[in-house]
Amino acid sequence: MANIASQRIKREFKEVIRSEEVARCSIKVELLDDNYSQLKGEIAGPPDTPYEGGKFLLEIKVPETYPFNPPKVKFLTKVWHPNISSVTGAICLDILKDQWAAAMTLRTVLLSLQALMASPEPDDPQDAVVARQYKGFPEIFISTAEHWTNIYAGGSRKKEEYSKKIERLMGIGCNMDQALVALSGCNWDLDKAIEQIFG
Amino acid sequence: MADIFNFIFGVVRNIFRMFSSSRNPLNNSLNIFIKCNTGNTLTVGLDPKWDIKDVKNIIAPKLGANPDEVKIIFAGKELDDSIIIEDCDLGEQSTLHAVKLKDLSIRATKQKKCSLLRETVEDEDEITLLQEKNNRDKSHFYVYCSVCAAMKIGKLRIRCSKCKSGAFTVDTDPKSWNDVLKPNKISGHCEQNDCPDGVFGWAQFYFRCAEHICQGENDIAVPLYLLKNNLRKIPCLACTEIKDIVFVFTCREAHVTCLECFRVYAVLRLRERQFVLDDSFGYTISCPVGCENSLIDECHHFKLLTKEQYEMYQKFATEEYILKAGGVLCPQPGCGEGIIVDLKCDKIVCVNGCGYVFCRKCLQGYHIGECNSVDNNISIDNIQHVTDPAKALQARWDEATNVAIRVTTKPCPKCRTATERSGGCMHMICTRCSFHWCWVCQIEWSRDCMGTHWFG
Ligand SMILES: [Zn+2]
Ligand SMILES: [Zn+2]
Ligand SMILES: [Zn+2]
Ligand SMILES: [Zn+2]
Ligand SMILES: [Zn+2]
Ligand SMILES: [Zn+2]
Ligand SMILES: [Zn+2]
Ligand SMILES: [Zn+2]
Repeated sequence: MANIASQRIKREFKEVIRSEEVARCSIKVELLDDNYSQLKGEIAGPPDTPYEGGKFLLEIKVPETYPFNPPKVKFLTKVWHPNISSVTGAICLDILKDQWAAAMTLRTVLLSLQALMASPEPDDPQDAVVARQYKGFPEIFISTAEHWTNIYAGGSRKKEEYSKKIERLMGIGCNMDQALVALSGCNWDLDKAIEQIFG
Repeated sequence: MADIFNFIFGVVRNIFRMFSSSRNPLNNSLNIFIKCNTGNTLTVGLDPKWDIKDVKNIIAPKLGANPDEVKIIFAGKELDDSIIIEDCDLGEQSTLHAVKLKDLSIRATKQKKCSLLRETVEDEDEITLLQEKNNRDKSHFYVYCSVCAAMKIGKLRIRCSKCKSGAFTVDTDPKSWNDVLKPNKISGHCEQNDCPDGVFGWAQFYFRCAEHICQGENDIAVPLYLLKNNLRKIPCLACTEIKDIVFVFTCREAHVTCLECFRVYAVLRLRERQFVLDDSFGYTISCPVGCENSLIDECHHFKLLTKEQYEMYQKFATEEYILKAGGVLCPQPGCGEGIIVDLKCDKIVCVNGCGYVFCRKCLQGYHIGECNSVDNNISIDNIQHVTDPAKALQARWDEATNVAIRVTTKPCPKCRTATERSGGCMHMICTRCSFHWCWVCQIEWSRDCMGTHWFG
C-alpha cells in the first residue's frame, strides 16, 4: 500500500483511539492487517432512533489513493435504513463518493455515518424498498428498523407480532434472513410475503 | 597613480585576510561581471570577504572616476560601502552594475542608504524579525529551471522594464507576489545612460536559477510561487508530516501538502481525467479539500512531476484543447491521437497516429452516406435493395465491417473513446477516462442497469 495512505491512516487510527467518542463507546476501530489497508469499524446506534442500543459493524477498505479518494465503507451488520442496502450493506452517502475531501478522516466518516443513521435522506436512497416505507408508512418503518436492530445488532426493542410472523414463515421452510427481508419489504403483510417468496 | 594605489591596497588586504578569522571556509574568489552605465563590461575576481568600498576602488579607475563618484547597484538596490560581498548573495558570474555619477549633488538628495533587498517576499508580517533572521538560511524562492530541468532555488533579480538594464534602483520593496508577478507595480530609477525612462521607470522582476552558472541575459527561470518554505511548520494535509518545503494551494484556507503528496495527488487526478481546462489558467486542478476557487493558476507547477508524468500531462492537456477547439480524438482503442478537423469534411484520417480512417460524425470506420444511429440495429435486408451489383458488393463489405466494429466497440459517452466489449457484461469501463457506463443505455452505469440488463 502506498506510503502516504498507510501513514495517514496510522495517524487517523490513533486519532480515533484517543477520541472522546471512543471513551463514550460511541465509535470504535480495529485493524485487520499490518499495513492499515483494512479496518473494522463499529458505531453505536444513535439515541432516540430505532437503532438505539445496537452495535453496527463496518467494513472499511482504504484505497492506495487515500486520502485523495474516499475509503470504501459498508455495513457488515444488517440494517433497515433508506440509505443503506438491506441486502449488501452498501452505503449511499455523499462524502463517501463525490463529496469526499482529503481533509476528512476515519473519525469524521464514522461520525457522519452515525449522523446518517439519525437522519435518513429518503430522496437519495440506496434501498428503494426501505425508502418507500420510510416515506409512506413511517410507523411501520420505525418498528421494522427496531426489529432489525434487535435481531442483528443487539438492540432491545422488538415486536412480538413480528417475531411470530417470522416464525410462521420459518415453519414453512424459510430461513430467518429471508423471512425478515420479505416481511419487512411487504410492510409485514404475511400473505404478500409468502407470495413473494414462493410465488 | 591609481594602479599604485590598487597595488598597495591589495597587499594590505592580503595581509589583513591572513589574520581575519574565516566566517566561511570557502575563500575562493568569485568571478563577477561588472556592467557600467557607459556600456562596457568588466570581469573581475572578487574576494567574498571584500566590502563594496573595495569593489569601488577597483572599478573607479576603469570608469575614470574617484571611488566616491561610483555607485554599485545589485538586485534593484544601491549597495552601501560597508556591505560585504558574501552577504550580497552573488552567484558565480553574477552581474553587478556600476554607475558613474555625473553630479555628486544628485547623490546627496537621493534616497537614504538602503540595505539589501530582502531575499524573500514575506506575506506573513507576523513573523518576527528575529525568526526571520534564524530562518534566513532556510528561506528561498523556488523556480523551475529549464537548464537544470528541475525545481531549484531561485534568486529574485530586478531590471528596468524599458531598457532591461540591471542598473536600476527601486523606490520601494516588493511586498507580495503580486508586486513581483504583475507589471508596473514597483517604480524606480534607471541609471543606464541611454534609457528613455531614466528618472522614473518601472521595475521588472525576474528569477535566476541559483544552482547553475548564469548563461547570460536570457537565462531566466519560472517562479514556482506556490512552493513555500514551511516556516510555520504546517503538517501536510495528506500524509500529515511536517516538511521543509510545501505546496500551498490557492484557496482562501491556503491548504498545504508536501511536494511528494502534491505529485501523488496531481498524477492521480490526471489519470482519472479530473483536470479541467480553464480559459485563463490552462489545464489544472483544485485543492484536494475541494475548496472553491482553488485552481492552480500557474501550470509550471506541474513541472514538479517526473518527466514521464509531465509528458502525460501535456498529452492530456493537448487532447482537451483539441476537443474544446472542436477537434476529435482518434477512436481507435489504444490510440486517442488528437486531430484538428475540417468541419466541411466528414472523412478523418489519423495522420499522426495509427492511420485509422473514420467518420467525423459517428466516430465509426469511414463510410459513404448517412451514419447509422447508435440505436438502430442494422438489418442485412437493407443491403438487398441496392441495385448496382458492384455497388452492392462494396456496400455489403462496408456494412459488414461496420457491423463488426459496432458490435465490439462503442464510444464512451463521456470522452467518445471507442471501448471494446468482451463477454456478456453490459458494465463498461472506459480505458481512457475510467467512466463507468452501460453498453445498452450508453449513459452512466447505474443500479437500474444492474437490475434490468446487467448481462445479456
Ligand atoms: Zn539551473
Ligand atoms: Zn532603463
Ligand atoms: Zn504529504
Ligand atoms: Zn483548500
Ligand atoms: Zn489513431
Ligand atoms: Zn458516420
Ligand atoms: Zn471515456
Ligand atoms: Zn443500462
